[in-house]
Parts: sequence; C-alpha cells; structure tokens
Amino acid sequence: MPAAARAPTERAKTGIPILDQRLEGGFPRPCTLLLFSDKPTEKRIFGENFAVQGARSGERSLYVDFFRAPQLARGELKRFGPVDPAKLILVDATSSQLLLPSPERYHIDDISNLETIREAIVAAMRAEKPGRIVIDSMEFLMDRFPKEDVLRLWRELIQAAHAAGAVICFLFINWTLAEQDLQQIRSMVEFVIEFQSSLRGGIVRNSMRVSQMGEAGVKTNWIPYAFKDLIGLTVYFPRILVTGPFNAGKSTIVRALSEKSVSIDRMGTTVAFDYGNVNVFGIEAEIFGTPGQERFEFIFKIFAREVSGVLLVIDATRPDELPRAKQMLDLVGSRIPYVVLANKSDLPGALAASDIARRMDLPEDVPVVPTVATEDRGVRDALLILAEMIIGVR
Amino acid sequence: MEERFPTNYSVLLAGPPGVGKFEYLLARIREDLRLGEKVAFVTLDMSPADIRSRAKALHIDLSAHEGKSFVFVDCYSATSSDRPEPPTGKKTFLVSSFSNLEGIGMAMGKAGQELGTPVRIYFYTISTLFLHNSSQAIAKFFQIITSRAKSNLGFILYAVHEGVHETMTMNLLRSLVDGVIEMRFTDSMDREIRVHHMRGYTVDATWRRFSQLPEAVVNL
Repeated sequence: MPAAARAPTERAKTGIPILDQRLEGGFPRPCTLLLFSDKPTEKRIFGENFAVQGARSGERSLYVDFFRAPQLARGELKRFGPVDPAKLILVDATSSQLLLPSPERYHIDDISNLETIREAIVAAMRAEKPGRIVIDSMEFLMDRFPKEDVLRLWRELIQAAHAAGAVICFLFINWTLAEQDLQQIRSMVEFVIEFQSSLRGGIVRNSMRVSQMGEAGVKTNWIPYAFKDLIGLTVYFPRILVTGPFNAGKSTIVRALSEKSVSIDRMGTTVAFDYGNVNVFGIEAEIFGTPGQERFEFIFKIFAREVSGVLLVIDATRPDELPRAKQMLDLVGSRIPYVVLANKSDLPGALAASDIARRMDLPEDVPVVPTVATEDRGVRDALLILAEMIIGVR
Repeated sequence: MEERFPTNYSVLLAGPPGVGKFEYLLARIREDLRLGEKVAFVTLDMSPADIRSRAKALHIDLSAHEGKSFVFVDCYSATSSDRPEPPTGKKTFLVSSFSNLEGIGMAMGKAGQELGTPVRIYFYTISTLFLHNSSQAIAKFFQIITSRAKSNLGFILYAVHEGVHETMTMNLLRSLVDGVIEMRFTDSMDREIRVHHMRGYTVDATWRRFSQLPEAVVNL
C-alpha cells in the first residue's frame, strides 16, 4: 500500500500553457470538471491528456474506463509518450463483462450493480490518493441505471474526490437527458468544458470551451485543439492570416515565426502566398501570408475564408499606407480578432503605436505591437496576444 | 439498369437474419469500389478478417483496396474475447466497445478524413447496438450519425435485423432515413427484395426474387 502518497496541493495544470495561465496555474483543488458534449467529440483526448499530465508531474492519476479493455486503454495512452504505469492507475470495468481476469489491480466486478461500481472506484481513490480522477464516461451509467441513482452516485464520487483534495473529471455525452437534468449536473461542478467536433472539407476539427460556474468565473471562447503524438493536446489554429500593404515585411514575419516556411515569390515580392507552420508557447498554427499588392486581391480572398485571426503588418515609417491597411482589414471582416504589427519600428521616422492606432481609428481594444521582423523582435509577442484574443483569455 | 445510391443520402436495409443482407452489402461495395468510390465498412457483428474472407469467397478482394479506398471501422474486435486480430498493416479504426456510441461516431468521421470525402458507409448491423444501449440513446445516435453522414461524409446504409426489434423502434429507424430497402423469405424460402421508398425518387415497390449476388435489384 502506498501509504506515503498524498494528493498534491498545487493547482492541476492542463499542460496547455495559454489555458493554464488563464486558470492562474491550472484547476484549483479540489474541484470538479464536466467534459460535456451533446454530439460525438474528442473529449476523451482531454481526459487522457489531463490524466497523463498529472502522472508526468509526479501525481497519481486514476482513470476509470467503462469502455476500453485495460490493454487497449494502456496501448492508446502510449500515444502520449512514456508514462510511469504506477502513476497512471486504471480501474478496469470491462474485463468482468467478458468474463476475463483483470490485469489491473483495481477492477469493477459487477457492472450491473451501481453499489459495486461506487465501492470499486472509492476503494481505488482511498488506496492511491490520486491528484486527478477521470471517469470515462458517465453516459455509460446514465444509459443503464435509473437517472436518480446515477445522479446520487455522481454526487458521492464528487464528495469523495473533494474530501481527498483531488480534481475529478467526468466525461459525459448526453444521449437521453432533458435540459433540466443537465442544469442539475452543471450545478454540481465547478467547471464545464464543452466540446465540439466538425467535419469540414473532409477534415475533422475539434474545439473546446472552458466555463467556470458562477458569475465572475473564467469563460473562454471556443479553443481549437489538436492532438500531437508524444506531446498531447495543443491549441491549434488552422489558419492565421498575415496581411498588410506592399513591402511591410509580411514574408519576413512569417519566416520569423515559423519553424519551416515556404514563400512563393518573384524577386523578393510575394506573388502567391507565404506559408509557415508555427509552434510556440504550446500553440500550433498554420500561418498564411498574403501578397500586399491590390492586383493579387483574388488570392487574398481565397485565404480570407475560415480565418482564426489576423496579424496586420504595417510599415511604421509609411503613414501613407495606413488607409490601404485599413482597407485590407475590411476584406477579412470585422469580427475576426486582429493585432496590428507596427513593423520596422527601429527605423528613423517610425510612428509610435499610439499614433498608428489614432491614425487608423482603431477600436481601443486592438493591440498595436511594435516589431522588427528582421531581428525577430516583438513578433512572437504579437502572435501570443492574437492567440489570447482568439481563445478569449486576454 | 443499375444506378448507385445518391450521395448525401441514407438508407435502411431491413430483413430477417439470414436473408442475405450481408451479401447485398458486399455486392454494393464491390460496385462502389469498381466505380472508384471510397468505402467505409462499420462492423459490429464480424471481425474484419471474417469479412475479408467472406468477401473473397464472393470474388471481392477487399484487402487490395484497404487503406486506399476502403477501411474498416471495427467495433467488434475490441470486445470479442478472442485474441485481437494480428496486425495486417492496413489501417483500421478500432472502437473500444459497442457501448461507446461516441467512439463509433468519431471513428466514422476519422475514416472519412482518412479516405477523403465523399465516402460510402456501410453499417452492419445497427441491431447489435440494441443489445448494449438503450433505444433512446441509439435513436439520438442514429439521428446524429445519419445527418452527419448525409451532410459531411456522403452516403450511409444501415443493415437492421427484422423481427428482433419492437415495431416502434423499427418505425423510428425507418423515419430517420431517406430510403428503405426490405428483404424477406417467401413461404418456399426463396428470397425477395424490394425498394420500399426512396425520398426524391419514384420506385417500383414490388417484391422481386434475388439469388446470390443481386446485380440489378434497385432501379433508382
């Protein structure tokens, strides 16, 4: 028995820096998370990622899996890279259904009995003192037992986790409940993380939204995310547009941000587009730089669709180009978050950020960031600010 | 005259066990693959290996298409107590459990992403889900998956066993799809098929005999 083990007290990081920052270091302990959707989504990746992050940071994570055989679950968790199996503890709910012996220390032996299920989970919690608990998933129980009984078990698990100072995380897709039941469930938790999945153009896109219950709680926008082998969950922007007037330094910005970039240019002027793949601060983004000249506007219009956010690059020494910059912004649409990059800000005669905001008549909440793309100055800050604006944590 | 089912369309194939629904599916799949379509087979009742070998017996070489224009969404292997299938090197989308409706939905989307849409999905059988989930949950799943298949993925055909579900359930499933094809045994144990209805098409709903592989059963 690991008697020395004790639930940790610091906040529970998600491993997504931009989100952890907004949560002031992670989820508080104790607390209850509801991972919710009413259509099929990839919420399990969040649950797995959360458990793995705990195990990686030296805590114990308890993962109760009603769907997967433990061999399969452990196999799938390998996608996250090496994790100490003693830190990631499974409660096996499937072996008994197949009349097979369980390879795990903790297992639910009678899946038709809610009391047995409760006892097995609570026993594992008592013995292992996990800092994080993931229940995958509540719809399994909701579809098999009377609603009131499941809600009672739900509350009991929350209480047990609370008493142990752990973060407990319930996956739940709603197949059968009415809105008022959902309200009741939301009222039992501190955070609701909603999930969405859409298939557009044959590509599955996932996003999530964090809402802390209560008036003054954290509320983010929809955060697009992706899974990366051996890393886990990352915030993923499929399209960030870098635009601005001719010769403002857009291609240089794309290069400065990107690990790899491609430019389709002629004698140094972009004639089709620049492309770069960016990986900074746990954020992955595909960056598309448009040409600045008006005659290439048709290309601009192709890229302006389904844009997450815009980096508007202007040459701070060229006030005469500001109207053109403003016009390019209009092409994207006013609802897309954007940051203005006052590039070449090191050159003599460069306008101050406040001057640019005034001359362009920008709304107050639009940041103007001075940059020197050739020296990679200010560029990453601008991207981070944009990312925070898109996901609503700024 | 044989035409394909349209894309952005859903069909329910209903008939008693043993009437030949599986053979019918294979015939459709053969035709789809011949025409260069992409096909996903969602299996709940048989292992991919069984399906490959039964297809082979009907001179359909699925493994030649696998990973390119054909994939399995395998909801069977993870819950069979048999040893898991040895890796074939072909990409299969494994679903952990019949109860994991969400997982089935996501795996179908991923199969579509892997192959490239539009994809033609064959679901064999929806009946098996009823052994593991409530009718209410399945109804919502069925409705979501059907609309996803129609709006984003392409085409879906579900096989359902007649005579094992309540009338209400069957009527609900029938009401959620665009078309219904029925199969039956006659008194002399001959097998017959008819197109009950197809939304947007006029159909001749008379019963016709079919033997092994019906090449010209459905006139759309």
